[in-house]
Amino acid sequence: MTLNNTIKLLLAGAAITLSASAAMAQTNLRVFVSSQHRPDVWRKAFDMYEAKNPNVKVTIETGGNTSEAQAQYLNTVMTAKDSSLDVMILDVIRPAQYAAAGWTVPFNDVLGDAGAAMKRYLPAYAEANTVDGKVVALPAFADAMFLYYRKDLLEKHGIQPPQTWDELAAAAKKVAAAEKDANLQGLSFQGKAIEGAVCTFLLPYWSMGKQLVSDGKLSFDKDAAVKSLKLWKDFVDQGVAKKNIAEVATDDTRKEFQAGNVLFAVNWSYAWGQFQGAESAVKDKVGVVKLPAVQGGQPASCLGGWEWGVSAYSNNKTEAQKLVQYLSSPETSEFMAINASLLPQFPDVYTDADVTKAVPWFANARPVVETAKARPVTPRYNEVSDIIRTTVNAVLAGQSTPEEGATQMEGRLRRVLR
Amino acid sequence: MSHETTTNRSLLSGKPLRILIGFILVVNGMFPALWILFTSLKTEAELTAKPITWLPHAPTLANYLRAFTDQPLLLFLFNSFMVAILSTALTLFISVLAAYALARLQIRGRDLILSAIIAVSTFPLVTLLVPLFEIMRALGLLNTWIALILPYTVLSLPVCTLILVSFFEGIPRDLENSAMIDGCTRLGALFKVVVPLAAPGVFTAGILAFVNSWDEFLLALSFNSNPMLRTLPVGITLYQGEFAFPWPVISAALVVGIVPVAVLIVIFQERVVSGLTSGGIKG
Amino acid sequence: MATASETTLVTAHNESATKWWTRFLDPSERTLALLLLLPTALLLSLIIVYPVCRLVWTSFQNLSLTSGAPATFAGLENYALMLEDPVFWETTWNTVLITLITVPGALLVGMALALMANLPFKRKWPVRLSLLIPWALPLAFAGLIFAWFFHSEYGVVNDVLRRLGFEGVIWFNSAKWAFAAICLTIIWKTSSFMALIILAGLQTIPRSLYEAAEVDGAGRLRQFFEITLPLLKPSIVVALIFRTITALQTFDIPFTMTRGGPGTSTATLAMYIHQNTVDFLDLGYGSALAVVMFALSMGVTAVYLRMIRAKG
Repeated sequence: MTLNNTIKLLLAGAAITLSASAAMAQTNLRVFVSSQHRPDVWRKAFDMYEAKNPNVKVTIETGGNTSEAQAQYLNTVMTAKDSSLDVMILDVIRPAQYAAAGWTVPFNDVLGDAGAAMKRYLPAYAEANTVDGKVVALPAFADAMFLYYRKDLLEKHGIQPPQTWDELAAAAKKVAAAEKDANLQGLSFQGKAIEGAVCTFLLPYWSMGKQLVSDGKLSFDKDAAVKSLKLWKDFVDQGVAKKNIAEVATDDTRKEFQAGNVLFAVNWSYAWGQFQGAESAVKDKVGVVKLPAVQGGQPASCLGGWEWGVSAYSNNKTEAQKLVQYLSSPETSEFMAINASLLPQFPDVYTDADVTKAVPWFANARPVVETAKARPVTPRYNEVSDIIRTTVNAVLAGQSTPEEGATQMEGRLRRVLR
Repeated sequence: MSHETTTNRSLLSGKPLRILIGFILVVNGMFPALWILFTSLKTEAELTAKPITWLPHAPTLANYLRAFTDQPLLLFLFNSFMVAILSTALTLFISVLAAYALARLQIRGRDLILSAIIAVSTFPLVTLLVPLFEIMRALGLLNTWIALILPYTVLSLPVCTLILVSFFEGIPRDLENSAMIDGCTRLGALFKVVVPLAAPGVFTAGILAFVNSWDEFLLALSFNSNPMLRTLPVGITLYQGEFAFPWPVISAALVVGIVPVAVLIVIFQERVVSGLTSGGIKG
Repeated sequence: MATASETTLVTAHNESATKWWTRFLDPSERTLALLLLLPTALLLSLIIVYPVCRLVWTSFQNLSLTSGAPATFAGLENYALMLEDPVFWETTWNTVLITLITVPGALLVGMALALMANLPFKRKWPVRLSLLIPWALPLAFAGLIFAWFFHSEYGVVNDVLRRLGFEGVIWFNSAKWAFAAICLTIIWKTSSFMALIILAGLQTIPRSLYEAAEVDGAGRLRQFFEITLPLLKPSIVVALIFRTITALQTFDIPFTMTRGGPGTSTATLAMYIHQNTVDFLDLGYGSALAVVMFALSMGVTAVYLRMIRAKG
């Protein structure tokens, strides 16, 4: 054979070998999972994916145990444009910020009809994950704020679960007068300057039909803001909520309700499992219902949950997007509901037979989650959140009046969101 | 002149007064630690009881069991300990050399150098986080002990150097000069004569460097995401839930993390310091 | 007593009598000084100089990651914005106030603790341990523990107040009381830092000085002011410099105790820097704030160093 032909043959052989091995090449995906949301169960979901996709290997990475610590970690890594992470789970308030910073890759290309794809989820999630028409993350699981109440006490005094805040106040006063228990709080909610305080402000505000941010622009209704702040302050002034409510964080509400010292509590879904635990003083005495509306308004809850995003610095974007679509599917949602008690992001999964058998209370949870609204979807959400929560805290601590708080809030918000 | 360790002649004398003072001192320093100790023996429910309880009503060791099983507490301790010891050793070595140069040798711009070293410590770590992350990544040092040892050394270098400079300056030169006349090199004189005499200063600098490393959270969180390399401050935050802060278990972890270290240091200090300074140097 | 020239004589004698490589065993003073300072210089260049240069450069840029726009040169714009930012002024004032309160506070308490710890106790370890434990407790946890101590319902402080017949204070409902709680906590934690340094200094004062003073008829108080204090000055100044710098950087304790609340009344400059850098991702502005903090700290340090020079 001539030298020329030999070379051609060798090159052809090399090309065939290379392409064959490329087809068999393994993709290693590193997924950042939140360690407070059962990474062991997510691991099983990853194992099932690996079984169906033998050329993909998934490793889990964790860092920090709270939304804040994890954001701190991810912010450092992403600001340094690190390519070690392919997929990351984000608190529902973060996708807009991450997308604006150029840290995530949109899903529109792989979703086909993005609008139709997002309609499968609970409506608020389409809003929370879409920025400028681009779908920047897909929901991992859902969460919302509930009104927990003491079934036994309401039954004892012949009261129906309240549908408006005024009814709640009346019910609380009636029970307090009858029970004469100094330790029994009428209503517990979050007044500490934490993220939850943003929800505290927005619940009545939304209930009045107002929005804080539409299309990235501020649509502040001062009257509604004053009314909202006044609603909570009045609870304190009337003795329905305790005087040091500005010290109360999410878990304080949970602990006090669990110890039997609270009649009505505003809290996330995690509290339910705790209330039914062995150490709980209120086991089987707890009811759950939509949050009350303002007079003449609609009930509104605060949307929670976490979302999956694909890192813009990943070296395996296509495989990563495929993985996320699997993770954000009804099948995975059902698996996580049954095995990790994570609320589903799909409406139908709530009433699925297997899910209802494993977590019966999800059927009651669905109507509440459906009233949930997304907190302002803007890249500068962290600044908006800081403004709202410090104002709520100052008003509840008695440092500012509701009017002063609303004025300040408006001024500060206008500077951030023109 | 005798260089015996001295106890100060204060205005107070007499045993009962001393015992009262001792009591005040111990309560002031130990109260939070004792509170943590008691909390580690309580159940969560007891913490929201009213009125609050000081001593546990039904002491339980369950929290300690959970502290070890919920998270790899011993691994956290090990990582923290290794990083702290190594960075303390490095800090002491480097700052002893630098302090000697600044205290003894005539250098132009000595004040400038001192100010520069102090200036280094005036930048809050959070602002240097991202560039440092990039440096460590470029050097391939992410997820190693060294990624933490180097910054921790720099963290403590200024304060240790300055403490040692002030101690070295307080030691008369004739002692090391006589050693050098006897045939010692300058460096030899440094380590055989000066350092032992400055033992209280060296020891204090060592404690400060050790605790600075022991405490640090931000860099440890960002540089070493590998669970096998987690240090104590980062590890303890893992006992929390998203909203929950289980004080009893975390107290147990804190007790396990703090007390042995403090006790070790105290024992070490008793031996080292009193041994070195009670001898006195003939001069 | 050997003089400088005698030392040089010794060195010269060695150099002439032995081989060239022994220069490194006993090099000239300047070479030695450079060698001794080399590790420090290397480490600082690697870990500090590059990040700081980056920081200063970024402070002159418009770099806010959430805008999605790339960095643009903005000159002194960030600094101009700062001057008009009410939160900047408030946090800087809070920081200065904390420094003015906790630095002398920690010094006084630390001095007292060190003097007490230096008494001739038969058993020294409880006292040494109680000086060390506040320092050994991680800063963030110290903040959380004291936040709990000052909790209006479940906190020890109100419990003691109530037992004494007073009404409990809702510490974190008022700017004044929250500030007080934070300062108390900082003083508790940092007084042991001061005490450790001062105690080390106390231990090197020769007893013979006191004995001589006794013989001269000086009372205890005079001994303190004329012997103890002057000899402690170097230790005190070192402790003060670093206590002041860390006071200007106060972050962990107010962050864990109040998150800067109520409102922004207990927020410090370091918290504001942290918020802008890590939370708001406004790196340009955050860097400019950090440069201002550096300038503040260096100004203060310069004052201290001048005070040492002035008193000789």
